[in-house]
Amino acid sequence: MHAHIIRALIAKEWQRHVANRGGIALGVLLVAAAVLLSVSTPRGAAKGGGGAAGLVGGVNHCLVQYDTHTVFVTHLMENVPPELKQQIHFQPLSRAQTVNGVIVYPVGTGGLQVRELRDGVSPNYTVHVSVWHPEGNPTALAPYEAWLWKEFRRWNVRRAQLRGVPGPPEPAFDAENQWLLTEAHKRFQDQVAEAAANNAASGVFEATAAAAGAPVAAATTGVKLAVPDLDVKREGLGGEVLTFHAAIVTGLVVFALYFTCVYLLPTLNCEERERGVLLAQALSPASPLEIVTAKALFYPTAGIGLAATIAAIYQPAILAQPFFWLSLASVAAGFLGIGMTISTLARTQRAAFLGGMCYLMAVSMLLTICSLNNIPILPYFTVEYFGPRILHAAISSAVNNTELTKTNWWNLLGAALLGVAWLTVAVRLFRRRGWQ
Amino acid sequence: MTTPDTMIALRGLRVLYGAFAAVDGLDLDIRRGELFGLLGPNGAGKSTTIRVLIGQRAPSAGVVTVGGFDVAREWAKVKPLFGYVPDRENHFEEFTGRRNLEFFARLYNVPRERCLTVLKLVELDEAANLPVRGYSLGMRKKLLLARALLHEPQVMYLDEPTANLDIHSAEVVHRILRDRVKHGATVVLTTHNMEEVEQICDRVGIVCRGKLVALDSPLALKQAHTERKVDVTRNDGERAVYDLDTETGLKGLSELVATGQVATMRTREFDFHATFLKLTGLAFD
Repeated sequence: MHAHIIRALIAKEWQRHVANRGGIALGVLLVAAAVLLSVSTPRGAAKGGGGAAGLVGGVNHCLVQYDTHTVFVTHLMENVPPELKQQIHFQPLSRAQTVNGVIVYPVGTGGLQVRELRDGVSPNYTVHVSVWHPEGNPTALAPYEAWLWKEFRRWNVRRAQLRGVPGPPEPAFDAENQWLLTEAHKRFQDQVAEAAANNAASGVFEATAAAAGAPVAAATTGVKLAVPDLDVKREGLGGEVLTFHAAIVTGLVVFALYFTCVYLLPTLNCEERERGVLLAQALSPASPLEIVTAKALFYPTAGIGLAATIAAIYQPAILAQPFFWLSLASVAAGFLGIGMTISTLARTQRAAFLGGMCYLMAVSMLLTICSLNNIPILPYFTVEYFGPRILHAAISSAVNNTELTKTNWWNLLGAALLGVAWLTVAVRLFRRRGWQ
Repeated sequence: MTTPDTMIALRGLRVLYGAFAAVDGLDLDIRRGELFGLLGPNGAGKSTTIRVLIGQRAPSAGVVTVGGFDVAREWAKVKPLFGYVPDRENHFEEFTGRRNLEFFARLYNVPRERCLTVLKLVELDEAANLPVRGYSLGMRKKLLLARALLHEPQVMYLDEPTANLDIHSAEVVHRILRDRVKHGATVVLTTHNMEEVEQICDRVGIVCRGKLVALDSPLALKQAHTERKVDVTRNDGERAVYDLDTETGLKGLSELVATGQVATMRTREFDFHATFLKLTGLAFD
């Protein structure tokens, strides 16, 4: 390795971009977008994320979590409508993912926690439902709530009917109108109570309750036994929120790295090969290792520089965060490996361009399909799964001044391992095929 | 047997593309300070031989040494020894001529001033600061030569160096090559221009179907292989060929000259073109 050769090769890369200003123009556009985003961020929104709307209008998945596997939970499991089957997942609260004892949900996932609270003395109990929706978007779980309330009511009617109480007409439940829900439930309770009283007077209810094994004393208070109280509480999920601005900045940062390492590096390299300039360099004192090293230094450095500029425009404090730099380095390593692999496999500039595009599309499709169908593990093999997560975590923690979680560090490790894996693939391919 | 005078030695060189032998057992010694022409019809194996010499193709069999170093095993030592002018230009289009040379000058670790010297040498100094994308084919070719001259290599490989050049530029190239040879460099060129071969080459190797079919100076080759025939155009427009090695031919030509019927007359004695065609088996009957 000769320093003067590496310097000359790096200077050549830079001079080529100065002479062909397309790459620099796109970099400037990305920076301009970051500036506009920073300027358009409402005062205070960058810090603390107060009042920011969620990135998505709804959630892709809903976790129904329960403390005990009751008959009601079984009823819910058996009555998930086909259109929500892919989205609704059941999980005991004991197996919920927690960070420092606090239940956390993956991005794009909301939670419906169902607990049955009993005082241990009377047979009466309360079904406690907690709706965990994205901050600032209380209606995000509307379709799931609508299903839950409907099934809750059906289950109760069925219970009452089992005890000989005719079910009342079904009200129009509306997940966005909680008061209406509560009132409807109250009315439902009253109706059942009234029916129970009438039946008790005629002796029907007493006989039915006795047949069902309930104490006669409890049966006379009918309503409490047939329909429990309902307590609904709505709360926004705490902690970091995928805010629109932070998400866009994350996207710009990831794109800056992708653009330099997976697009510019392979296309310009293949252009040099097509023109024969790569051969001219290979016949000069520059060794193949020096040529590769210069490119491997220039493009990730340019990408990291651009990405850091974009992130710093949004939140300057991020530059002091080691996690951010580690995230950039990991993602850049992964993209560099991908770019070098494409450089080795593609013979022409057009093939390199198409290779980059095909890769992007394939990974996007894979992640989308895996996300929609809840396919596990497969996304863990893509840099694009971990990259945005760690970069967003870095940006969010810098903005909100919050601690990074253990999950963030695991994601960083995942990105770093993928980076090493891609670089290994690229180096092995280069040794076997070279760039000629 | 390699002598101390030998700069490039090819021993039993064989290059296979699948089952096809592009070069088939080539033995050749090229001396120091020699301007050597490698000739042959299309597909004869010239370019493949050059590709082996510049390390871009591994020999299937045989050994190739340059300056005493094995091209396959001591590539790092061979690389600084040579300059290469490809048949297809390969410049950074977006750079000026000078910047192109400056980049390679940095790789070769030669002073920047050398760029202007070689640009002057190939008469491109006035166009030095123009982008290469505006250069003509001839200018691009001359820039390739300038690049190959940057580090004053001991060996130069040139693939059709005067293709697309005007007469004056071709003369400039010839002058530069002769000058390099005068300073002890070895020059190997491939060309289809027979006049150029006759004009500047010290020795010529003619390859055909991957084999060396002739090796000598252009003059010696002509003398050894040319036909002693005379092409005559008579005053009435009729054309005839007289073989000087036959009595009939000699007698017929004498009568024609004596009766004053000859309009034009041309001997084939020093026709290198015909020699080449004869040696490669491509001459028309």
